Amino acid sequence: MADSDGTSSQREDRVLAYSALLPSVLILLLLVALPAATVVNFSVREVQLGESDNAFVGLDNFAWALRAEQFWSALVNTLIWVFGSVGLEMVIGLGVALLLNRSFVGRGVARAIVFAPYLIPTVVAVLVWRYMFHDVVGILNFFLMKIGVIDAPLNWLNSPRMAMLSVIVVGVWKFFPFVVLAILGVLQSIPQEQYEAAKIDGANGWQMFWRITLPYVMPIFLLTALLRTIWTFHKFDIIYLLTGGGPVGATTTLPVLVYQKAFADFEMGRASALAIITAAILAVLLGVYFFLNKRAEARQ
Amino acid sequence: MSAAEPNGSGYVVRIAQLNELSQKMTYALLVLVACTVVGFPLFWMVISSFKSVGEFYITPPGFLPAEWTLQNYRALFAQTSFGTYFVNSLIVALGATFLSLIVGGLGAYSLSRFRYRSIAIFAKITLLSYMLPEVLIVIPLYVYIVKLGMADTLASLVVSNMAFTLPLTLWYMRAYFNAIPVTLEESAMVDGCTRLQALRRVVLPLALPGLISTGVFAFNHAWNEFLFALVFTSSERNKVLTLGLATWIGQDNIYSWGMLLAAAVMVTLPVLVFYLLVQRQLVVGLAGGSTKGE
Repeated sequence: MADSDGTSSQREDRVLAYSALLPSVLILLLLVALPAATVVNFSVREVQLGESDNAFVGLDNFAWALRAEQFWSALVNTLIWVFGSVGLEMVIGLGVALLLNRSFVGRGVARAIVFAPYLIPTVVAVLVWRYMFHDVVGILNFFLMKIGVIDAPLNWLNSPRMAMLSVIVVGVWKFFPFVVLAILGVLQSIPQEQYEAAKIDGANGWQMFWRITLPYVMPIFLLTALLRTIWTFHKFDIIYLLTGGGPVGATTTLPVLVYQKAFADFEMGRASALAIITAAILAVLLGVYFFLNKRAEARQ
Repeated sequence: MSAAEPNGSGYVVRIAQLNELSQKMTYALLVLVACTVVGFPLFWMVISSFKSVGEFYITPPGFLPAEWTLQNYRALFAQTSFGTYFVNSLIVALGATFLSLIVGGLGAYSLSRFRYRSIAIFAKITLLSYMLPEVLIVIPLYVYIVKLGMADTLASLVVSNMAFTLPLTLWYMRAYFNAIPVTLEESAMVDGCTRLQALRRVVLPLALPGLISTGVFAFNHAWNEFLFALVFTSSERNKVLTLGLATWIGQDNIYSWGMLLAAAVMVTLPVLVFYLLVQRQLVVGLAGGSTKGE
């Protein structure tokens, strides 16, 4: 750091730098690093709460996981949940961002409405949707029957086939505004002259979207998709609160399974192994993403 | 669209105007549909919270309340521990936010101003902490909390929430500090201030909007947090809103829908208030730094 004084002030700087950062380092060591290391330790042991001696079992917990039907079913559910939700969020988010990009009367109100689902607590979102999904008092069944789409009330949350769909619907509703926000930021920075010049050259709306808008938006679009994938992969509360992982495990994703193993079955060793496998799967997905990204950049 | 033909050009211009009008109307329709679909659940939640208990079980369900009533809200505060939950959530969220802003604010200043390699490495590591799922760190945290005798305390929630609010604060505030030119502190130091004094008198006032925005994000995260509350607390007097509400949802034969919806409205209010206060800075902050969502 450029300094008009001599070395003594540099030493003061160093002291200040490290001491200002020290509390953060300590707290994160305690709350993140230490637990992470502990999970790794737990995963190779049979962990009983209250006992001080946790027997070392090597890779038994991991072997159990890879043979357990619960694990594979949870993995499939997780992939459906993640790609279903994120896919819809990205498409709908892009569409709504394009809609909100032009200024019109009441745009502020429209924006507030669109962002609202993202701001409310997950528990509130779940409550409202459970109310709407309800087979007796729910408005959705009533409405769909009224307009003739269905003849009998749908069992949104309690039928194995519909449950995952319902969970995805709520997830997309809750989180798509994040995509809108991210993409809108980019859209608003695209210089208007590009569109005007294109219009003069005779381009229609569709061509302008493909040639101008999309290239501008693509980097943020991909980054947002990546972030949404990571966060959706790890999501616990929205699924747990909507269906508890049921019916019969139809919506049990990996995070829900980890929770159940740890706090319902009290098998913390196995839960830890599952958690590590979950993190590893995500790491693989990310690795694929970065690899493809580098290939695409190298081509340019 | 040349104006060569006297009658023809008028005709062509009118077609073009009709075209533009129909485009505008389609656009408006799309916006309307989007807002209706997205906004309906919340609208429905608020409207229904004012319905009297009997109205919930009549079919077909009425759209507007036949009779607007506050009985659900009154029952909420009179018959349940909702007030306790609300206070607990406030304590946890304010506590975690306050601590994170102080610790994280200081740390972020260091990350921004001092570019030693060790510090840069730490910055990258904090990013990694976002990649770990909650369900992973909740397991060992639970074991430690039980061993320390801190099970079923609000303190355990204040501290554990910092696992997420602290990296969030470090990351955001670093971006905000980066936007404040170092020259301001340097000229203050030339005038005789120590670095700490320069920080307090020059930088802090400028960083205040950033601190407020970051504080709101941190508060929001802690207010909405569920898993830690579920695992670490259990007694009625220590429950926070998310856990309390979640427990009630599973017992919807005991708690009437009206009351549940009134509770939902009450839980949402602080968040909406904060959002209205900070909304302008939301978009600005997003353009400047990175983002963390829920």
